[in-house]
Amino acid sequence: MALTYALLRQMSNKNINYIFMNTIKNLIILSIVLFAGKVSAQQISSAELQVTGLTCSMCSQATEKSLKTLDFIGAITPDLNKNLFAITFKKDKAVNIDQIRKKVEDAGFSIGNLTAVFNFNNTKVDDQGLAVVGTNVYQFLNAKSQTLNGAVKASVVDKNFISGSSFKKKAAQLKSTSYTEGSGLVNGKKTRIYHLSI
Amino acid sequence: MRLLKLLLIPIAMAVGTTAQSQELYVFSEPASNMPAKSIGIRLTNEGVFNPKFATRTIPEMMIGFNKNLMVHVQGFFSDMDGGYKAEGASLYGKYRFLSVDDVKSHFRAAAFARISTSSRPTYTEDINLEGDNSGLQGGLIFTQLLHKLALSATLSYSKAFEQDRKQQTGMPQPDQMLGYSLSSGYLMLPFVYKNYNQPNLNLYFEVLGKTNPENGRSYLDLAPAVQVVLNSRTRIDLGYRFEVAGNVADRYTKNMYLARVEFNFFNVLK
Repeated sequence: MALTYALLRQMSNKNINYIFMNTIKNLIILSIVLFAGKVSAQQISSAELQVTGLTCSMCSQATEKSLKTLDFIGAITPDLNKNLFAITFKKDKAVNIDQIRKKVEDAGFSIGNLTAVFNFNNTKVDDQGLAVVGTNVYQFLNAKSQTLNGAVKASVVDKNFISGSSFKKKAAQLKSTSYTEGSGLVNGKKTRIYHLSI
Repeated sequence: MRLLKLLLIPIAMAVGTTAQSQELYVFSEPASNMPAKSIGIRLTNEGVFNPKFATRTIPEMMIGFNKNLMVHVQGFFSDMDGGYKAEGASLYGKYRFLSVDDVKSHFRAAAFARISTSSRPTYTEDINLEGDNSGLQGGLIFTQLLHKLALSATLSYSKAFEQDRKQQTGMPQPDQMLGYSLSSGYLMLPFVYKNYNQPNLNLYFEVLGKTNPENGRSYLDLAPAVQVVLNSRTRIDLGYRFEVAGNVADRYTKNMYLARVEFNFFNVLK
């Protein structure tokens, strides 16, 4: 009888210990997520945008004015001869890469290339090349199993961020549904995945 | 067939030479749309010298609803039947359904439709839904931009809906017309862009034709035009179209000048 009681006590002690450890672990994870979320607000500092399908300054002006309606865009410097826009983002606003594409398309044109400066802070890229930074999920095409730190220049190579023919070529080469659809399951939830090439 | 050849030869020539462009055509519309959530205001004045000098003034508002759909609303005022008076209105919608963009080039295709009303009396089989006739029009536009050169082709079908009481005695009543045009535009200035405030100078050359599918009677116009774009938002057009061949009696828009000013307001719609 006494032996059984002792055994039971030991077990429940173990359980309490387990629950306690788990809570701490969860708290740590939560704080990391919160911290990462804060960092993501200024995670992308600048970008160079190549807009395709235009040659005239009226078209460039329309594109620039469309982009300026986004609240996270700080300054835009256009190169009217090369149809390039150098964009700096506001420090306190989260950058939405898809919104940039939408605004260029609203003006009537397309993105030919978008290369941005991402500021990573101990970002783990897993063995599949996937990295979660705050609310953004990145799939690296040419980086895996490493930790990224500091400013990294990367191009977004998703659909409608490169020319239609380049996308088709890449899609055939990668054979990945996450690439063709631009999204995939992350922690069981369908999530937008940006595909980056460093 | 001869007309078709006439139209195809310049296309073949232009495609063969690697060229460069502008597509803000003066006598036709490109397949490209204006930016979404933008508004454009146009004031056009056009006039003919025969049989008597008469002019038409067309105020026009253009609205870009989204990247693919835009609408024009036009009013028509002229002194073609005596004193200057309002003669009608038109609603034009254009939907871009294809867009292939590349660095400094693109290919676009769009479908358009127009509904017009006019109080003018009818006296020719020609149909002009920009002031002279009531009716419907539908068509397709294909535009290719190659750096500084823009080429565009338009095909359309027009159907007039005129009341018999408007018909002048002994004169033909309009029914239907096929329209076709081939337009080219070239960016002359600036050679090198420095900023948005530099004026742009564009030259246009358009071939505009119509055929009555019932009897084959046709006409073909050549239409050169010059255009200045100021501050990358204000556009001034000056053009003239003259008939080079045709057998449609008392046709509209024959040997006509066109002067236009257009103001663009980007991102004014929510």
